[in-house]
Amino acid sequence: MELQVQLLMNTLQIGSVYVLFALGLTLIFGVMKIVNFAHGTFFTAAALIVSSVMIWGVGTMGLSIWLSYILAFFLALAVVCLIGFIVYIFGFQHFLKDLNGSFILSIGLLLLLNGTYLILYGGVPRSIPTVVPGVVTFLGASLTLQRLLLMIVAAVITLGLYILVHRTKLGLSLRAVAEDQEAAMLQGIPFRRVALYGFLIGATLAACAGALMATVTPVTTVIGDDFLVKAFIIIIIGGLGSVVGAIIGGLLIALIESFGGYYFDPSTATLAMFVLVIVLLIVRPQGILGHAEK
Amino acid sequence: MSMKKIIGITGGALLALFSAQTALADETLKVGLSAPMSGAAAAWGLGFEYAAKQAVEKVNSEGGIKAGGKTYMLELHAYDNKYNAAEGAKTAQTMLNRENIKFIVGSIGTAPVRATQALSERQGVLLFNTGWGKSIKGPDYPLTFTQMNTPFEILGPFFGYIKGQHPDLKTVAMITPNDATGQEVEPVAIETWNSLDVEVVSTDRYERGTTEFQSIATKIANSNPDAVDFGASPPADVGSIMKALDVLGWDGIKVVAPGTSAGTLSQMAGQAAEGTYLGASADFQGDSASEAQRTLNEGAVKEVGESLNAITISSYDAVMALKKAIETADSIDPKKVAETLPTIIFESSYGPAAFGGKDVYGSPQQILIPVMITQVKDGKAVEVGRVAPEELKERLK
Repeated sequence: MELQVQLLMNTLQIGSVYVLFALGLTLIFGVMKIVNFAHGTFFTAAALIVSSVMIWGVGTMGLSIWLSYILAFFLALAVVCLIGFIVYIFGFQHFLKDLNGSFILSIGLLLLLNGTYLILYGGVPRSIPTVVPGVVTFLGASLTLQRLLLMIVAAVITLGLYILVHRTKLGLSLRAVAEDQEAAMLQGIPFRRVALYGFLIGATLAACAGALMATVTPVTTVIGDDFLVKAFIIIIIGGLGSVVGAIIGGLLIALIESFGGYYFDPSTATLAMFVLVIVLLIVRPQGILGHAEK
Repeated sequence: MSMKKIIGITGGALLALFSAQTALADETLKVGLSAPMSGAAAAWGLGFEYAAKQAVEKVNSEGGIKAGGKTYMLELHAYDNKYNAAEGAKTAQTMLNRENIKFIVGSIGTAPVRATQALSERQGVLLFNTGWGKSIKGPDYPLTFTQMNTPFEILGPFFGYIKGQHPDLKTVAMITPNDATGQEVEPVAIETWNSLDVEVVSTDRYERGTTEFQSIATKIANSNPDAVDFGASPPADVGSIMKALDVLGWDGIKVVAPGTSAGTLSQMAGQAAEGTYLGASADFQGDSASEAQRTLNEGAVKEVGESLNAITISSYDAVMALKKAIETADSIDPKKVAETLPTIIFESSYGPAAFGGKDVYGSPQQILIPVMITQVKDGKAVEVGRVAPEELKERLK
């Protein structure tokens, strides 16, 4: 029983970040109909900024760890938003609904940004001081307070996005554009502006995931790449463009990783994810909650 | 003889002498290096590049390498292989086909080394490498030389020392990356543990680039082994797993055979890294370190922010071996240099060293240097044991 609880806790820990990251990717696809291979670089940028600002805040400025982290977190979101805005204005804006063009553009961006991070930060992995020390035990399962906080924040952000998408005017516009762009434009919805908002929200979600993960894992200049591969698997399973699908997909992948990693080994669990994608593409190509192409 | 003539002859002679010296000094010998300089194993690549640079500077400042009546100044070209085969192939293409490099003084990672070797052996290029795979050298690969100790040299004395320190050690769990390095290390490690009456209760593999290790830590903690052998895992990954094990309350013997960067390990795992046994680290500040190692180490700490270890310092030793072999062969033909390497004794950072290992690998392509056993104490690697290879002792007699 204790073991199953521990594995479920592991699932939630891993899944919460996967969901957050994949939500951004699926939102961008849903609204803009592009596949953004540079999405992981937003995650990486945020993690790197958090690591450097924390070191500066705690080491040089003598700020408390908490204050440094909050400062680093919001600075990371702001910088990633700015990067996202520049990338959208000078790049993706010209390739809306263009899968081939956006594919080439995002691959180029991925190489450019990863190279830039390497020049700026060097290749040595960084780790930041523990923000919330301590371990909690729940039904025999152990969990660091830092991981618990990460899960709570990720859940709150996910809930916030769900409310934004389903309960606000902007969310309605995003859904309308995702459903049928031309019909949405006929109703007076400014497609390009909504696409920009969708892109920035997606980039911010990736930044949130990166800024949260920086507290629990070594930060490298390619940290976002591993998450990107998982995020693609997640949104294919959940259904491209589906918010609820990304949540289900994220938790399912985390479940496979946690239980598969325990009962077999991590490599077999990774293999199982790809097998699942292959099977799903054969029997239900649109994913669990995706809509079939008309 | 008129004064005009004397001045003319003297001037001409001086000009000829100057031109000859310039011509001699102008010979450049490019040497390549391929190592991970980004990602989880970046600490290895950056230190490796630093040590190679120091060796190249030393050789050049001492007048270069003399062969065939010429003097060669070394020029280092270092590339990031990201510890994978695809990038290894890419860096090999660049070194061999674009830069026309004939001597690679260091390559880290069995997978990228294999990718490099596929080209280097075919194109007649001498390749020094740190690859831990047994199959990487032997009579079929006459131009490939290993510049550091590998599992076949390290694991026997290393595990033996640990067993000696912990006679109650009966079970070990093993985790290693799922790539060429991990796959080649795993069977040797299992065999060595078994020879010491230690049972390997589980073996797990993970993909490089993995960031979440909770499931594997849960599995290890649940099987409650006396020790965990982290196989060929790089320092950042080991640190993450140790941290996760610590949260789950496991506190056994931690063994990292390619364990090198005590600093990175302690930075990642904090207190959980204390007491870890490292098989490829080194205490280059301790009493047993040579003067060259101390100087190199101090420089690396300043420039790279990390102490050198058995992997990273090996590029220095490869350059020194190359210099001696070229001068002994009196040629810069890689094939002649490769034939000469097993016959020489050269001055490595450890002191006199040679190449041997014919009994194990079928041909003498393995560097012969001491195995150093270190343990993490207060965040630093402290040497606790040292074993010199018997073959080297015989050669030095």
